Amino acid sequence: MKELKIVKNRFIFTIPAFVFHFLFYILPIILMIVLSFFSWDLLSPMKYVGLRNFSQLMKDKWFWNSIIVSFKYTFLAVPIIFVVSLILGVLLQEEDRFSKIMRVFFYWPYMIPMVAAGTMWKWLFSRNFGLVNYIITSMGFKPVDWLDNPTLALFTIVLVQVWVLAGFMMMLFIVGLQAIPEEFYEAASIDGATKFQKFWYITLPLLKNTNISVITLSIANCFRNFTIAYIMTTGGPGYATTVAPLYVYQKAFTDFRLGYASAGSLIVLLISFVIAYTVRKVQEREIEGGKI
Amino acid sequence: MRKTIVIILAVLFMIPVFWTVTSSFKSMSEIYKYPPTIFPKKISFEGYINIFKQSNFMRYLYNTLFVAIISTIITVFLCVSLGYGLAKGTFRHKDFFTEIVVITLFVTAQIIMVPLFVIIKQLGLMDSLWGLIIPAVFTPTGAFTAIQYMKDLPDEFLESAKVDGANEWQIFVKIVIPLSKPLIASLAIFSFTWRWNDFVLPLIVINSGKNFTIQLALATLQGQYGIPLNEILAFSVMSIIPTLIIFLLFQNLFMKGLSAGGLKY
Repeated sequence: MKELKIVKNRFIFTIPAFVFHFLFYILPIILMIVLSFFSWDLLSPMKYVGLRNFSQLMKDKWFWNSIIVSFKYTFLAVPIIFVVSLILGVLLQEEDRFSKIMRVFFYWPYMIPMVAAGTMWKWLFSRNFGLVNYIITSMGFKPVDWLDNPTLALFTIVLVQVWVLAGFMMMLFIVGLQAIPEEFYEAASIDGATKFQKFWYITLPLLKNTNISVITLSIANCFRNFTIAYIMTTGGPGYATTVAPLYVYQKAFTDFRLGYASAGSLIVLLISFVIAYTVRKVQEREIEGGKI
Repeated sequence: MRKTIVIILAVLFMIPVFWTVTSSFKSMSEIYKYPPTIFPKKISFEGYINIFKQSNFMRYLYNTLFVAIISTIITVFLCVSLGYGLAKGTFRHKDFFTEIVVITLFVTAQIIMVPLFVIIKQLGLMDSLWGLIIPAVFTPTGAFTAIQYMKDLPDEFLESAKVDGANEWQIFVKIVIPLSKPLIASLAIFSFTWRWNDFVLPLIVINSGKNFTIQLALATLQGQYGIPLNEILAFSVMSIIPTLIIFLLFQNLFMKGLSAGGLKY
């Protein structure tokens, strides 16, 4: 019988989606680049200013401050998220009833709208009426300014970020852990390996791909998040928790400097690409030279 | 031992929710009492009654549901159709088209909010619910999931229909869509949740109170002076209930579903 090979174009099926994709993903990126060379306050006509937005950004102390805050926020949150979700993943990797029920409690924060999450934590950390300070004072300590102390405020919002993301990352670890063949552990047991040795020499190296996903996704999520800071501190006290996306937001929608804000977003976008790319490269090298 | 640690951690994780829920049932005088009461001495529905009486809660609920439901329907259609075209089509530069979808996985509203604002304004969608729907119906995560799913669909199904003389559209409606039920279910559930929880888009698009979504209303409420705390907390509790119900119903889908490739958007 003659083989029947049907070749079908089917491009038409992709057109509706690509219209929206172009309008709301591709076009904004092009427009962002264009706008960054203009000065525009929405009311008066756009004015071409060349590289002035960028040269001003270079000198903008608070812009650089916001980039540093974002870095601190991200690199404080990501290791904690990694450790917490790995511990949760290891503890809940079995498919028994107990694990299945308990996973829900850790994953749920990821499903809670971030505005509501921020509101809840703000109330928990309220200086005078919050539960946390009540516990602290009843143990004989002084109440803590969780959100009004510049150094502490950053830690507090990091804590909320960890709470939001840890359960989601836990699921990635569970999927990864379940993919490790039982035989590896059995062989190690015969050789008399302790639990810790098994974890260190078998589990961790075999989780390498999961580790990559968890770290990359955590960085991407943290570096861009501004809702938690917006709700809990609105960037304060001072500029202590003004992360870069929040600063850009303020420039655009409080000061109405749209060109300037576009230039700022462009730099934020480039930085997040560079981070993602570097992480990827480092990990690829590790995998090539790794034990797998 | 393992169970004890897990339970302690779960209790720690649930403290903010617990404290918010119990506080939301306190009267204003009790909420500001020191030392605070863990459980309300007298259960008061003051906060809940006030959000229905004084704020436009029903209006916000309607707006949010409208946006979430309409965008979900469109999202599902766009993603399934795109996934089918990209996975089963044979047009030129297909890999390039797939690649540009994957690249935009890294682009979120927070990063492109300024140009997005300009485009939405030019389209005349500012301060309208459609301004929350149209820019959000395409989601790279959903598209990516659909492409992966369609790749795994066996070609034989499509080809046998072709032999039977069905045209392209009939194949899509009668064969592809029924075979994509699991994909459609998870796209629908995720899309609804994303739209319900969204804050960034409403923040830049909506100005007038009558068009507020629940999340935007909750954020705005907190910026105003003199809004009683029990009302804000009751509002928070109300805002998490719908997604909680969906989450509990479709737990497995959530936890295993898009986890593998999922970014939040």
